[in-house]
Amino acid sequence: MEDYSILKTKVYTVSELNQEIRKNLESGYPDVWVEGEVSNFYFHDKKHMYFDLKDEKSKIRVVMFHHSNKNLLFKIEEGLHILINGYVSAYEKRGEYQVIALCARPVGKGALILAFEQLKAKLEKKGYFEYEHKKNIPILPGKIGLVTSTGGSVIRDIILVLKSRFENFHLIARNVNVQGATSSNEVCDAIDDLCEYGVDVIILARGGGSLEDLWAFNTEKVAEKIYKCPIPLISAIGHETDYTISDFVADRRAATPSVAGELVILNKRELVKSLRIINRRIRSLVSSRINIFSKEAAFLIRRRIFFKPETLLDKFSQATGELKIRLVENKKGLVRVKKERVGDLYRMMDRRNIIKRIYIHKIEIKTSYVRMFSAIRNYINQKKSKLKYVLGKIDERNPSAVLKRGFALLYSIKDNKSIKSIKDAKINQKVKILLKDGILKVKVFDKINKILELGFKNEN
Amino acid sequence: MKIEEMSFEESIKKLEEIVKKLEDEKISLEESMKNFEMGIKLSSSCLKKLNEAEGKIEELARSEDGKLITKELNLEKEN
Repeated sequence: MEDYSILKTKVYTVSELNQEIRKNLESGYPDVWVEGEVSNFYFHDKKHMYFDLKDEKSKIRVVMFHHSNKNLLFKIEEGLHILINGYVSAYEKRGEYQVIALCARPVGKGALILAFEQLKAKLEKKGYFEYEHKKNIPILPGKIGLVTSTGGSVIRDIILVLKSRFENFHLIARNVNVQGATSSNEVCDAIDDLCEYGVDVIILARGGGSLEDLWAFNTEKVAEKIYKCPIPLISAIGHETDYTISDFVADRRAATPSVAGELVILNKRELVKSLRIINRRIRSLVSSRINIFSKEAAFLIRRRIFFKPETLLDKFSQATGELKIRLVENKKGLVRVKKERVGDLYRMMDRRNIIKRIYIHKIEIKTSYVRMFSAIRNYINQKKSKLKYVLGKIDERNPSAVLKRGFALLYSIKDNKSIKSIKDAKINQKVKILLKDGILKVKVFDKINKILELGFKNEN
Repeated sequence: MKIEEMSFEESIKKLEEIVKKLEDEKISLEESMKNFEMGIKLSSSCLKKLNEAEGKIEELARSEDGKLITKELNLEKEN
């Protein structure tokens, strides 16, 4: 160690100086309020906050430890104007001085309002307020759930409204503290309980109050519980002009708790009236429809088609008649056409004198026939005459004819030879003589040689 | 869907549909009768539901063993 005893002043080490500076700062500024704009905001592990507060000319380092920042209602963000309260100190290790903030609040706005705005923006971005997500409130709920303070006046108001509209409703109330530190947790548990038990609709109701009083219904955990609730939920918080986050997230907002009563249940009398009207309307519609139908039926029955179903056939018989005529016409036409065709062909043939020629040929054939017949007849006649002549001739020589004239034919009995001359016979020869009426058997006793001439009378 | 199983809302909706159908001139006689029957049944059932609802005012709480129980609500006490 150097000997600095010759110097009159103290020589510090760095740590010693830093420490002394810290002590001086802390005792000099034990309680300060500083206002400025947040910049370089750094939220280390969501525990300790480190940021600068600045104005137009300069800036100062700030740290807000977890135990101080955990109860902040609003979020410290870059650019936010805030007011902090704390003491000045130094971070010895780095020789930096800083303000240790113990609490903070926004400048120009209440912390609550800012917190409200911040949460509203955040949830809107998340889609918690979307219309499509909202469920319909049932017209006639079987069980009505109510989250409220059972000791307050709100529950009485609601019950009065319900009674006036519908005598026999079923209400299940779940008592909660509607403000205070435990309120938001109690409200969440109440919603869970009613969902578990099973109701058809839930009403969150509380009367008017300050922003702090209503704060439980502006918390993120209640908002999330409402958003995720499977049962239709009505938010009826505060007066008409009070808007809470739960109002935006709920399936329906009621401006006042009494309005909630009106929303959950219709007026029974009116419902009954509507049903009766519908009933009557249905009946009258149907009866008028029946009227129309029966009139139509009556009208139809009177028509001839029912009296005389044959009239149905009239149409067809007329059609058939027409078709028949057409058919006949067509046939005639066809025949005429064919006839004409034939006529044409006929005429065509005539032009070629076919018939004439046939006729001529016929004549020729006939003539030939006639000639042929004549020739044949002539020939036959000729032959006939000739035959007749020959036959006549033959007839002359017919031995019977000779015999008839009295001549006789001689034959030798022995050898049946004809005897035409005396030389053919001998004396004592037996001879057969054929006469016209029989036979003579004789013996020759003499032969005379004489030639016969014409005229038989010359006998010696 | 049977009429008894329909919720009140669904019944009312169906009734409105029926009235619309009956107002249509093109509807047949058979359809008219079918709708008529359904309509009368529905409106009767709705009226019945309205009148048979039970009236009760209860409070929900958890018993010592953590179960949900209901008891009649006493509104006499003031906070």
